[in-house]
Amino acid sequence: MLMHYLSGLGILLFGAVHIFTIFFTYPFQATIWETTLKFDSIPFAILPVYRNALLAASLFGLLLCTTVHAMNGLRTVIAELVGFRNKWVDRILIAVGVFLTVYGLRTILIAHLLV
Amino acid sequence: MLSQREGRTKVLQSLRVMLVPGRYGLERWSFVLQRISGVAVSLYFIAHILETGNFVGGITVWTVPEYSFAEAAHQKSVELLKNPVFDVGLAVIGFLVALHTFNGLRLILTHFGFLVGKPGRPEPFEQPASLNARQRALFWLSISLAVFALLYTLDALMGVFRV
Amino acid sequence: MTEYVKFLVYRYRPEDGKKGVYADYDVPVKKGMTVLDGLIYIKENLDPTLSVRFSCRMAICGSCGMRVNGLEMLACHTQILGLRRKHIIVEPMRNFPLLRDLVTDMTPLFMKQKALKTWLIRRDELEQENPTIQYLQSEEELGKYLQFTYCIQCGLCYSACPVVSTFPAFLGPQSLMKVYRYFADSRDEVGRERVSFVDKFEGVWRCHFAGSCSAVCPKGVDPALAIQLLRREALK
Repeated sequence: MLMHYLSGLGILLFGAVHIFTIFFTYPFQATIWETTLKFDSIPFAILPVYRNALLAASLFGLLLCTTVHAMNGLRTVIAELVGFRNKWVDRILIAVGVFLTVYGLRTILIAHLLV
Repeated sequence: MLSQREGRTKVLQSLRVMLVPGRYGLERWSFVLQRISGVAVSLYFIAHILETGNFVGGITVWTVPEYSFAEAAHQKSVELLKNPVFDVGLAVIGFLVALHTFNGLRLILTHFGFLVGKPGRPEPFEQPASLNARQRALFWLSISLAVFALLYTLDALMGVFRV
Repeated sequence: MTEYVKFLVYRYRPEDGKKGVYADYDVPVKKGMTVLDGLIYIKENLDPTLSVRFSCRMAICGSCGMRVNGLEMLACHTQILGLRRKHIIVEPMRNFPLLRDLVTDMTPLFMKQKALKTWLIRRDELEQENPTIQYLQSEEELGKYLQFTYCIQCGLCYSACPVVSTFPAFLGPQSLMKVYRYFADSRDEVGRERVSFVDKFEGVWRCHFAGSCSAVCPKGVDPALAIQLLRREALK
């Protein structure tokens, strides 16, 4: 449970950075489709964010914390939905979590190294 | 072990308890909303990781591709996602994320024993100490911030509040 | 003119092998009459086969816990006119095996409590069996747990808890509250070991602070508060 609290607080920290770079860099000026979701033309578009090592690392932190928090949360909800714990549910959730982390890390690295 | 039919009945009963707050008051609403938002945001998170993967060319790409290839892949993803249905869906996710975050912070505080009051000598028909005004205020604050997130996300995605 | 209120009472007979049904009864009501008085009226005048458990009629014994209009209440502690409804739906408590009509089997509650050793324990066995001295406490020491001694074990919190409904192995609000009650008592010598009894998946971590237990407690015991305080100890 401590892991759930800590990963939640981690999401709060890294998520704040993520939300800031996407939603608050051009407030009330243009939609994010015209600004931060552009590929590479302006500051805080997709690639400039990934190229910055600190922001990319924070995205990985967010990925890691969210995976842990989401999979642990789903484990709780599933156990309470069916009324008992099942080790296969835990294993599947761990597998999904590992896949998401690896796949997300791949995206971050590719976008970070893309020139 | 439950039979398949009993298992289905059990899950349906559990769903009813998890999704219907009944007459138990605000904390039960908080429990239900926290659960719904948690599951919804988890599913969104999985979809989001898969979708951002497409921005650099999808699951088949594991080495750094050509710049033009990634740019074209990003353009294709944007064309697929940029429509009002996804925009409204994302705004709802924004609402749920904000709600889960701020209500979650309140719950962490209560789980550590803060803001729940102290044991006392209860009077008949007195409101329980743990369900106090501070808790209610913080719950409504979470709802307010979530509504702000909903409106801000709608504006950021669709420019609805712009002339 | 006498005022009538319609009682919709859940009827279940295990020997019929069928699901329960709601039977309706018109009950004449006057000021001061409780839901339990209404049920006794039905039993005496309309349908003697109705099974309902009660004893003290004054919210002391905790026998007549049931769901009235979708909320757990003691029937003897609930004024019919106070509900301000023309229809009153009376159902047995949830999360307990149903025996008949409004009567449930309270065994799960008592077994969980027993497993958690919810009584005062002294390390000295001789002293435990034959106490030789008085154990004095200050007002402050008493205040730490007094509220939780008001529990009458009616089971309403156990019935209202959404986690017990969905995950039956959960120890439940009443048992966890009792653990805190003895943990906070300066006369008890088990100490932090009591916290280790509940520091597990089925224990204190399954509480999600839905607050329904405290919302329905007829004695103002506030089990949700006790569980959060217990969890604070488990997090130390």
